[in-house]
Order: sequence, then C-alpha cells, then structure tokens
Amino acid sequence: MPVDSAVQLVPALLDLPFREGYVRSIIVVSLYVSVLAVTLSTLVSVPVAVLLGFADFPGKRFVKSVINTGMGFPSVVVGLVVLFAVSNQGPLGSLNLIFTKEAMIMSQFVLATPPITAISLAAITGVDDGVRDAARVLGGTRLDVALVVLKEARYGIATAILAGFGRAISEVGSVLIVGGNITSADGISKTRTLTTAIQLEARQGQYQTAMVLGAVLVALVLTVNAVVVRFGDRGVQS
Amino acid sequence: MLRVANASRSYGDETVLRNLSIEVGSGEVVAVIGPSGVGKTTLLRLLALSLEPDEGTVALDGTDAWAVDAAERRALRRRVGMVFQEASLFDASVARNVEYGLRVRRSWRDRLHDEVAGLVRSNGVADAVHEALDVVGLTQKVVQQADSLSGGEAQRVSFARALAYEPDVLLLDEPTSDLDPRNTAVIEDAIGEARDRGIGVVAATHDMHQAERVADRVAVLLDDGITEIGPTERIFEDPSDERTRKFISGELVY
Ligand SMILES: Nc1ncnc2c1ncn2[C@@H]1O[C@H](COP(=O)(O)OP(=O)(O)OP(=O)(O)O)[C@@H](O)[C@H]1O
Ligand SMILES: [Mg+2]
Repeated sequence: MPVDSAVQLVPALLDLPFREGYVRSIIVVSLYVSVLAVTLSTLVSVPVAVLLGFADFPGKRFVKSVINTGMGFPSVVVGLVVLFAVSNQGPLGSLNLIFTKEAMIMSQFVLATPPITAISLAAITGVDDGVRDAARVLGGTRLDVALVVLKEARYGIATAILAGFGRAISEVGSVLIVGGNITSADGISKTRTLTTAIQLEARQGQYQTAMVLGAVLVALVLTVNAVVVRFGDRGVQS
Repeated sequence: MLRVANASRSYGDETVLRNLSIEVGSGEVVAVIGPSGVGKTTLLRLLALSLEPDEGTVALDGTDAWAVDAAERRALRRRVGMVFQEASLFDASVARNVEYGLRVRRSWRDRLHDEVAGLVRSNGVADAVHEALDVVGLTQKVVQQADSLSGGEAQRVSFARALAYEPDVLLLDEPTSDLDPRNTAVIEDAIGEARDRGIGVVAATHDMHQAERVADRVAVLLDDGITEIGPTERIFEDPSDERTRKFISGELVY
C-alpha cells in the first residue's frame, strides 16, 4: 500500500508547481535539524540517565521530576523561550541566531532531551539487579558495571533515541516560532521543514504539494518506527 | 582464609542473620545447609564482599574488607568468585561471559588490543575460557548466545565464569538446583577439582546428600544463625544441637 501510493505520487510530483530542489531542500533541513538535535540530546541524556540510574545524590528526585515535567511541556512555550533567548533582548542575542537552523536545533534539543532521558532511565533501571551484582562480584569497577548495564539496556536506549527523533521530526509549533519557516529568494528552504511547509502549503490551498510533503514525512516516521519495532522485538527476545 | 566474624545483617526491620561467624580456608569445602529463606544467599553475598554487614567484619587473609577503601575492597573481591542462584549471565555470547572476570582485570589498553586482535586470532584469554568451559563440559557452546542456553547450561556457564579467573575462594549458591543427576555429578567433580587446586569453596545447598558428598565441613543455618558447624561426618552422624538433629532427620519442618 505505501509503495502503491508512492508510485501514484510520482507523476503528481512532476506536475507540481514548485521549483527544482524545493522538496529536497525541505527534507534536508528537516533531517539536518532533527538528527543534529537528537544526537546532541543523546550525548547529554544517556550519561544523565546513567548517573540517575547509578548514583545517589541530593536533588535526584528533583532532577527526575524536571525530566518528567519536561516530557509533557508544551512545545510552543519551548519555542517561545528559545526565541526570546536568541532575540536581540535575549542573552544569546549577539549570536544572531534568530530564524536560523541553529535556533531550531536548540529548541528541538530542549524538546527531545526529556523523553530520551526518561526512556533510557527506564531501560537502565529495568536491567536485572543480578546482572549488576554479577559484574561487580566478578571484579568489575564502577565503570565496568555501568558499561554492562548500558549494554543490557541497549535496545531500550535505542528505542529512546528513536522516540526522540520521532518527536523532533514531527514538531511544528516551536520550529515555526524559532525558525520562521523561511525560504530563500530562489525557493530553496532555509529554515522550512516538512511540518512547517505542510502547514503553509495547506493554508495556501496547495493541497497537492502539502500531500506530497505529508507522504514524505509519514514515510520518514514509519521508517523510524519500523526500526523501533525491530529493536523492541530483539529486546523482548533476549 | 575468608572469615565472617560476629556479623549481623537486616533488610529493613527484618534481621536475617544475627551475630554469625564462619570461615573457609584454602582447599576446603564448606557446605551451608538450611531451609529456604533462612539467609544462605545473604551469607554468601557477605562472603562475596558485595553486601556490607550491619555489624561484625568480613576479612580476607586478615584484611577487613569494609575498613578499607573501595579500590582495595575490589582488589579483595577479585580473589573471590561467585556462582549466583539465578545464573545472571550477561546478554552476550558464552565466551564473552566466561572471559568477563579476566577482561575486567586487564588494563583498558590491553582490552582494546584484545578486541582488535580478537577479530583475527584468538588470544591467551581464549585458552582460559576453553579450560573453564571444559571443567563444566560445555566447550561446544562457546559461541552460543547466553540467552539461548537451557537453565542447566546457564548454571554451568555461570560456574565456568567464576572459575575462569582462578579465585582463591569460590562461592556457590545452589549450584546444582537446575541440573539433572549427570550434570550434578559434573559440578560436584568440579568442586572437588577446585579443592584440589587449593581453592576454598563455600556451597549453599538445599540438598543434604550433596553436602554429605562434597563438603569437608557443614554449617547448619536455622532461624537467624548457625546452630552448628563442624566436620561433615560428625554433623550428620552425631549433631550436638537439638534443632540441628531435628532438621537433619527431617523432623523439623519449615
Ligand atoms: N534485598 C532484599 N530486601 C529485602 N528482603 C530481602 C532481600 N534479600 C533477601 N531478603 C529476605 O531475607 C531473607 C533471607 O533471604 P535469602 O535470599 O538469603 O534466603 P536463602 O536462604 O538464600 O533462601 P533460598 O534457599 O530460597 O534461596 C528472606 O526472608 C528474604 O525475603
Ligand atoms: Mg538463596
């Protein structure tokens, strides 16, 4: 079925009134922003999850509640805060980041970090205590034990990263606010993503274009989900 | 010599072990028998230096493990091997499991080198892994994933994993609970071999006949302490404690 509809869309794509490279540039911007944001999130989230899963320190409960609140935080508000931060009056105003991909990466980072941390933490805490014990009793250092636990939790952590990617790639509100949905004069995307482009095209009555972009977005998300399910299956098996 | 002296341990309000003392020397097999839930696993975890006693001491060759810093305690722990009641294998191949203790004892540089070299040829670690698996009769399973082993195979791999780095003391928590008679015999032979190599063995078991077969000394754990400890023959033939006698004769039912 997805193959069929993709085939039907090919002539539509050729007929459409957008410039060469328009759709491709939008996909590139979407992927660039989401992949970079999720990569940065992962570099922060996984160590934080390991720390939360292993160490006891004052304020641990507070950090956990911040993460849980962050999961349900309205994305437009995140966008608003990042917009203010990079605006002329904001603390990062001198960097001229307003309506740039970098600003979009910042807000996507803020959005993706809580779910990646929370799901990774759940995976890490879910690792059998016996395995931790074994690693320690067999002579492992704290680092060795942490590595064993990370390895046991690898499918859960992969799921966390892909879930973060899913959230980032389908985000509309904050991306629109901080990125501005801009194309250059020749119609090539600067900060226009699949989601914001769909929103714009639909509002202008360009339903065909919006549908094509929508199909691309769905295809991307489905691919990611298929990978999630595969990882999930392996996790259950073992 | 690994020695627990006057140790107590509680979980929350529940005191599991009270003022308990036990020791194992090199080349000696001590069996710990007692009913389910009495604290055999807790005692072994004290001996493994993985659980701190609330009171009392645990010392290896005179060094109090909980009076020294974490690095020194780890050095002591590395002389002790343990086979867990649930095999607790890592989600990796049998070889990776068995070599674990050896791997964590090597420097990061050597480990990295091993990883690279392992791609093209086997190294010294492979021989130790082979040897340990040979003791439990599982050399043919070396490349299999641990999660695809049967319960009894997993238990035997767990035994090989603890044996591979040649500990001074080997702790066995119900090492044959999942095994058929033939494989039970394999493990009991391995216990004898460990003793011959000078390894001190502490084995917790439900099976009194097994204790009779493998142990030099037997400790009877009832309620929250050891009611009696002594040479195997005397404990079974002529226990001096009344509750020990009832437990061994099966009159004391828990
Ligand atoms: N981590 C824990 N937290 C709370 N209670 C515990 C914990 N571990 C053990 N216990 C309790 O301590 C008691 C002794 O447990 P332990 O596992 O040492 O018994 P055991 O003699 O090994 O039993 P079995 O023969 O069934 O393995 C039990 O009542 C158990 O419920
Ligand atoms: Mg037990």
